[in-house]
Amino acid sequence: MYRIRFHGRGGQGMKTAGRILGTAFFNEGYEVQDAPRYGAERRGAPIFSYVRADKKPIDERGIITNPDLIIVADDSLVNIPAAGVMQGLNEHAVLLINSRETAETWQNRLGTKINIIVLPVNSSVPNPAEMPFIGAACVGAAARLLGVVGQSALVDAIHEELQDQGPDIIKANCDRALEAFEYMALYENCVQQRQAASALDYQQPEWIRPVFEKARIAAPTIHAGLTSVQVKTGLWRTLCPIIEYDRCNRCWWICSSACPHNAINVDGSTPVIDYDHCVGCMVCVAQCPPHAISAIPEAEADSEIKKSMQQLAH
Amino acid sequence: MNDTHFKRMKDLPSTHLLGTGTPMCAGCGGLQAINDIYDILGEKTVFINAAGCMTLLSVYPFTPFRGSWLYTAMASAPAGAQGVRDALDILLEKKKIGQEENLTAVVLTGDGSAYGMGLSATSAAIDRNLDFIYICYDNEGYGNTGQQYSSATPHGARTSTSSGSMGYPGFKKDLFSIWAAHKPTYVATVIGAEPLDLARKIEKAAQLKGPRFIITLSPCPTGWGFDPQETMQIGKLAVKSGVWPLKEYIDGKIIHTKVPKIRMSVEDYLATQFRFAHLFKPERNTRLIDEIQGRVDEYWDHVS
Repeated sequence: MYRIRFHGRGGQGMKTAGRILGTAFFNEGYEVQDAPRYGAERRGAPIFSYVRADKKPIDERGIITNPDLIIVADDSLVNIPAAGVMQGLNEHAVLLINSRETAETWQNRLGTKINIIVLPVNSSVPNPAEMPFIGAACVGAAARLLGVVGQSALVDAIHEELQDQGPDIIKANCDRALEAFEYMALYENCVQQRQAASALDYQQPEWIRPVFEKARIAAPTIHAGLTSVQVKTGLWRTLCPIIEYDRCNRCWWICSSACPHNAINVDGSTPVIDYDHCVGCMVCVAQCPPHAISAIPEAEADSEIKKSMQQLAH
Repeated sequence: MNDTHFKRMKDLPSTHLLGTGTPMCAGCGGLQAINDIYDILGEKTVFINAAGCMTLLSVYPFTPFRGSWLYTAMASAPAGAQGVRDALDILLEKKKIGQEENLTAVVLTGDGSAYGMGLSATSAAIDRNLDFIYICYDNEGYGNTGQQYSSATPHGARTSTSSGSMGYPGFKKDLFSIWAAHKPTYVATVIGAEPLDLARKIEKAAQLKGPRFIITLSPCPTGWGFDPQETMQIGKLAVKSGVWPLKEYIDGKIIHTKVPKIRMSVEDYLATQFRFAHLFKPERNTRLIDEIQGRVDEYWDHVS
């Protein structure tokens, strides 16, 4: 059985990528399970989708914790624990990552010898946060790494899953998928399937038996306000707004009222962005009357934030 | 409206009550409006939230609210509000709490609940003259589950359950009129993109007693298909094109609070969103666009 896990951010098409790969497997005569994980499936938030494929009926259920292939559409997810990219990484698994950096860099960074294959970033797109048709590229690459999903099964699956999207979008997805398929020729068939788990091997987890307590303690009641600030939704950001304070008119009532996420605080009359919670929607960038807020790719944002904060201090 | 505290944009609150860190989508038009509404209603509120996107605001153990929040099934939020109101009234009467501890019961639901499943419970709450405020964030579909159509979906819009070349064949239900026909204390439409108009209406609603209703059109980047940064522009276009009339019902009268002097064509609004892309590609569906424009024109012809 093949077990494949996709990682991306909401909006990058990981759910659809899982469906396309599942359908492509099905077209090749496999039994298939494909499902995204339900949770905070919001634009920018870490998203998971899972595909299992086997020639025999699949009895396994649930999320995939022992993948044969891990696909990472957005390399900024690797250092976010909640994204769980490394979960169940084993020597047998192959990690396919869409990145500007080399496989060696990733091996060193992660301290692992596992097979890491880089899907190069589409460098014709000026903004690195934009990853057009990245889902299709991931599926095309995955199909070649698996070696058992051919081009026609892949193309048919894209047509089937994207039929509502119109011919232009279908074509663009097919082109990206086949381009990635071609690119991965060197690594064809490098993902190996493993035996399906047998029920006989099942080991019961060590259940924790909670003490039966009074409802006041045991019920999921929240006893304090504003606890959500502990959730750092700033991790969802792929683009980062930077205020150029020399140009800022201090008309805080525009940006601070417009921010859907309450991530622009007002200090006196100066707007200050709360980067722990700015999710990078760029509404402030679009609204700022003197165009004093610019959108910077998250990967380059640290130094720009520092500069902005220095300006503010003066 | 001479007695408003909100005379210009500068008068809007500069500190915000709703906590950060909520899992709403980037650029959520509903969250933007709710932020502004909460700032004006203040901390002495208890939210009764029917299932929908906004129930994810408060996911154990995290809450962005400063006070209490109650989760109900989709059809039951106004009934939940009745229970909360009654409990508060009993505590007040028995002097278990003082007036300073009294709270306003605020129902928060999406359009799926407000326009559809919860309409009957709302009607009954108005019959009982329940003292509460109802906030409906209307993103014109069941957004939290993947934008299936609801009775708030506009004619012709594509949703995940109306994906044909003509989009949704039904028509957006006129909830404002249905609510107003019950003769409650107050009904208003607002939008986050017009924060001053919104602030004045919430301020007014907060000062009144009895059943009070607010519908906020909530541009939805995920469900409508646009870049999150365009939330405000699309909201403004909805008002300028006349698609979303800003109005209020009070003392038996309907007043339009922002009448576009020159109405922009609906096409300018529709073209910004992927859910209407099939009206323009592969070829322009002039008949359907004209039909949508015709309905908007007809509405405004009746506004004196």
